[in-house]
Amino acid sequence: MAAESVMRFEALAEQAKGIMAIFGRAGYEHVAPAVLQPADIFLDQIGEAIRSRTYVFTDPDGQELCLRPDLTIPTCRIYLERNPRANREARYAYNGPAFRFQHGKPDALRPREFRQAGIESFGVADREQAEAEILALVQEAVRGAGLRGFVLRLGDLGLLHALLEALPIPKRWRRRLAASFWRPDSFHTTLRRLATPASPIADASVAALTRELDPDDREGAEQRVGAYMEAGQLTFIGARTLGEITERLLAIAADMRARPLAAEVVQTIESYLTIVGSPEAAARDISKLASEAGIDLGAALDRYSRRLQCFRKAGAGLQHAHFAADFGRQFEYYSGFVFQIEMPGQGVAGQIAGGGRYDGLIASMGAPVDVPAVGSAIHTERLLAAREGA
Amino acid sequence: MASAALRLGIASKGRLMDQTGDYFSAHGLTLKRLGHERGYHGAIEGLDDIEVAYLSASEIAKHLQLGRIHLGVTGEDLIRENMADADERCHFLARLGFGQADVVVAVPECWIDVANVADLEEAAAIFHRQHGRRLRVATKFMNLTRRFFAEKGFASYRIVESLGATEGTPAAQTADIIVDITTTGTTLGANHLKVLEDGVMLRSEACLVASRVADWSAQNQAAEQRLAERLLA
Repeated sequence: MAAESVMRFEALAEQAKGIMAIFGRAGYEHVAPAVLQPADIFLDQIGEAIRSRTYVFTDPDGQELCLRPDLTIPTCRIYLERNPRANREARYAYNGPAFRFQHGKPDALRPREFRQAGIESFGVADREQAEAEILALVQEAVRGAGLRGFVLRLGDLGLLHALLEALPIPKRWRRRLAASFWRPDSFHTTLRRLATPASPIADASVAALTRELDPDDREGAEQRVGAYMEAGQLTFIGARTLGEITERLLAIAADMRARPLAAEVVQTIESYLTIVGSPEAAARDISKLASEAGIDLGAALDRYSRRLQCFRKAGAGLQHAHFAADFGRQFEYYSGFVFQIEMPGQGVAGQIAGGGRYDGLIASMGAPVDVPAVGSAIHTERLLAAREGA
Repeated sequence: MASAALRLGIASKGRLMDQTGDYFSAHGLTLKRLGHERGYHGAIEGLDDIEVAYLSASEIAKHLQLGRIHLGVTGEDLIRENMADADERCHFLARLGFGQADVVVAVPECWIDVANVADLEEAAAIFHRQHGRRLRVATKFMNLTRRFFAEKGFASYRIVESLGATEGTPAAQTADIIVDITTTGTTLGANHLKVLEDGVMLRSEACLVASRVADWSAQNQAAEQRLAERLLA
């Protein structure tokens, strides 16, 4: 599309005005993050996959920049710039263009340039309350714009982490599973691999070295690995330290000695991921699964139930809500509650708004402490199209 | 389009140009440049309905992608790097048996705990905890790298674009690992690097490639057939 029709432009502007007024009345300060962003932050936080759908380029100074693919990270940067110590609450709202490369031809519902209107809440310690506030407000905004007949899809990565914590799984395996959760194929491969005996190291001399390492004597192990390299005349290059290489060899040694993940543990994780249903029914299924597995998800389940109470109190309608345990795999930075507002049966075009909790993001961007953060963005072109289609 | 003739892209310099010329000669075809010696237009003696365009090896891929040339001779690595949907836009007519190069993932030899891509993911997790960043991969094959690692389920990395002397970047600590082409592995060894067991992304060689998106008139199809009969005999 070379340009928008005047009517469409005006309709979008009108719609945005209404949305921003709702956000403003709720105490969300209007911010306007820069359109041009350092590519680094997106590549570090979201990963190289983003390069295939982001306009990344090098400026005349050799700096890698990008046209922002969404407004959450740029808004986090504003929060950090204003609160370097990350110790204050802040509520921001925005409306502006975002840019994504579309393979094949971009069309009206997969535009390469679109406007996002959204809110982000930082530093609010009462997490469930903050989540309810965001969810209620975004629903109010899309409803205020005239959207009817939408459904709510909910997920909770906190429950998954609690499940992995509670099951008898060695810490390093738990980390591996958690790290791959947002890539479903990789997660299942990892799960299957951990359920079978670890395959031995192919290189016989490295295998022998690994067997000799004493896990209770880190320093001694490191010396042995160093001596091995010297004897083999392996030149030490790169940023990985001898300590890191030793740590990994010790992990391999521990894997060799460890009993594979029990079939029941794998079964529990896989059963958990298939849980879907109304938020209340899902809670019952999850407690049932936990008691059958003999584990306690108490605190995480309490937070889940409290969140539902907060939603009801805040007026976030749950009559058309649907929980799916494996929902929330689109962004690595989500850490807890996730949701999406959808028009049923419309595929991508029906994904009107989405959001969730991302508590680790601000710290990984340089804040001295973890900051509770939750937010949501509306795809405003889709919202307009869905209203017009209704 | 000004010209409706069949356009064939040939490398304009280097070994690839020489070897392409030799291959054509061996099949009784002579490539000649028109105008002065360094001109960018050429022809094939005796095949008057074919125009030869001398282009850089990676430009050939881009021209095929857009259908500006009908046929081209270039490395499969460059085609696949420059075109995400190479098999939709192009048709690989033949592998020509020269210009062999493997695109590989190589890591420092001293990483004795890393033998394959799965190891890399776990080493990267420890690395991230220690250094607060992802592993950096130096390469000029940004797209091939991204697709390969996505297939293998490796995600904790950052690409650092490198247009030359890539194999020196781990020692210089401007990158941690590399993706590069190798023919014998000697350069990698000299730079204290080793190829991962499952780290061969592509065994590339020069190919005769047809663009599916170019304008294929009946006349061009006939010209292509005559050329292919000679070249692939």
